[in-house]
Amino acid sequence: MNQSLISRLLYKNTSIARIAGFIISNFLGLAIVLGGLQFYLDAKSIWEDDGSFIHSDYLVINKRITSQNTFNGQTSSFSDEDIKELSSQPWVKRQAPFTAADYKIYASIEQTGKGLSTNMFFESIPDSYVDAASSQWGWREGVDEIPVIISKDYLSLYNFGFANSAGLPQMSEGFMSGIPLKLTLRSNDGSRVLQYNGRVAGYSNRLNTILVPQEFMDWSNRELGSGVPQEPSRLIVEVSSPGDVAIKKFLDSKDWEIAGDKSAASASFLLKVVIGIILAIGIVITFLSLFILLLSISLLMEKNREKLHRLLMLGYSLRSVASPYRIIAIGSSVTAMVLAIACTFLLRRYYLDSLAGLGAIPGNPLLTIGTAVLITLIIIFFNLLSIRRKIHTAWRL
Amino acid sequence: MEIKKIKLENMLPRVFINEKIPSSEIWNAGILFERGIHYRIEAASGGGKSSLCAYVFGSRTDYRGTLYFNNTDARDLTIAQWQKIRCRHIAYLPQDLSLFPELTAWENIQLKNRLTGYADDAKIEHWLERIGISARRDYPVGKMSIGQQQRVAIIRSICQPFDFILLDEPVSHLDPVNNRIASEMIEEEAARNGAGIISTSVGNPLLLSNPVTLSL
Repeated sequence: MNQSLISRLLYKNTSIARIAGFIISNFLGLAIVLGGLQFYLDAKSIWEDDGSFIHSDYLVINKRITSQNTFNGQTSSFSDEDIKELSSQPWVKRQAPFTAADYKIYASIEQTGKGLSTNMFFESIPDSYVDAASSQWGWREGVDEIPVIISKDYLSLYNFGFANSAGLPQMSEGFMSGIPLKLTLRSNDGSRVLQYNGRVAGYSNRLNTILVPQEFMDWSNRELGSGVPQEPSRLIVEVSSPGDVAIKKFLDSKDWEIAGDKSAASASFLLKVVIGIILAIGIVITFLSLFILLLSISLLMEKNREKLHRLLMLGYSLRSVASPYRIIAIGSSVTAMVLAIACTFLLRRYYLDSLAGLGAIPGNPLLTIGTAVLITLIIIFFNLLSIRRKIHTAWRL
Repeated sequence: MEIKKIKLENMLPRVFINEKIPSSEIWNAGILFERGIHYRIEAASGGGKSSLCAYVFGSRTDYRGTLYFNNTDARDLTIAQWQKIRCRHIAYLPQDLSLFPELTAWENIQLKNRLTGYADDAKIEHWLERIGISARRDYPVGKMSIGQQQRVAIIRSICQPFDFILLDEPVSHLDPVNNRIASEMIEEEAARNGAGIISTSVGNPLLLSNPVTLSL
């Protein structure tokens, strides 16, 4: 009976409209933050596939091949001046050339009696640009197995173009990685030959090449190459933001282009920008809702200040006179949070199928729920702090 | 911690510091209130008797000098200690009564009594009967006359164990018959607790037996 008497006294003057205003605005803000965040987590896998060995902030740049080049005999390689000019651009964090093999490569696969053999080429980039565990990547002199990363397109070309017509079995990525590749390396003059085993360490969407570790490339070029230094025809560049318009302007002015699947980089950049804006709006609304609750509870306590003081004079503890206000703060925040989480997951059901069609792997909802709980705890914390201060001012009139 | 004595040393409300005040047995003096003794403080209006009660009950601290409970400076008490004192050691009937007008007489009394768990329902019923307001038991206090409200507040103030009871003009709106009844009830409870009574008045004093009279 006692706590109910206290509640009856202290809830007097409660404005249902103000509390509802808080719940609605907090729900709105939280739902925008959570919805945006969850959508980002669910959608980002479309552009970030796990098999990618090249970070999305890396761009591969080459010179555009035109018929003029071909007829004039101009090379498409980058000169020292080109590289210097590129390095001086503000959006370039670092850059490195692709090193091409200066010898001939012949690869063969022996499998269930049928064989496949082909001429090949190798390129390399410094190991620090390759996102792979060091146990999977790298090479030391004396090791006779060489890891290679090949373009996914090559496997598709084989599976859907070549294998069918040549009567060869189709191969999955995993299966392909399991079978040994016999590599024969022959110097251009034919005087030296080396035999190695290749192992497919991974596939990449973003590199149209066959990549071997830089160590191996340097060593094999010394062993088999002509010794004449070659200018690189492709560069790998780490940029501060792949969506920067300055990059496109510069490349257009030089008639250079970004190789590989560049739509992924710009789409993921756009997604980040849009989600960033949405999150910012949601956070601003949430922040404003925090103030609505702070003000409503303060106002209510101000109106009931005389009663608070009288209850304290009777000997009631600070805790027991604060509890009706704590219940409002916690109850309304948690209600808004539960509604916002429910809304987010309801929304998610509508878009998840469409995203799955685009090849997305759904993100972990725990991060979103964790964010909701964290924001709600922050709102509750500030309100409890304010209630505590108000009760203390009612202690002595 | 039982409060055996309340000691005032050179106490003076801050508002009086630069004023010339008539001679007083309490302000700017040393005085000791002891358990078991009844005190009647007589004062002219504006002499600071409500201030004195508020200082002893801890709701105000705007005084100079020192107030001791036993040997503890009242300024050193924590909020939790004050709340314990208000439930167990000092009962208080403020001049403004501090009742909640929207609650009934019964609810107002129980608001205190449930906190201290002091009197059972039968005892409270008996008190209401004795002081003549049992018919108003379930009336909102806000609709009662000041005299009736005063009687509700008197019952509420004795719904707790106490070492001292502070009564600020408790019977200003009561007739001599009810004054007598109220005095008896308060003295009975004080005797049961072995407590001291400190009662103020500006003309209609609580009819205590053999009080020590002090002028403020």
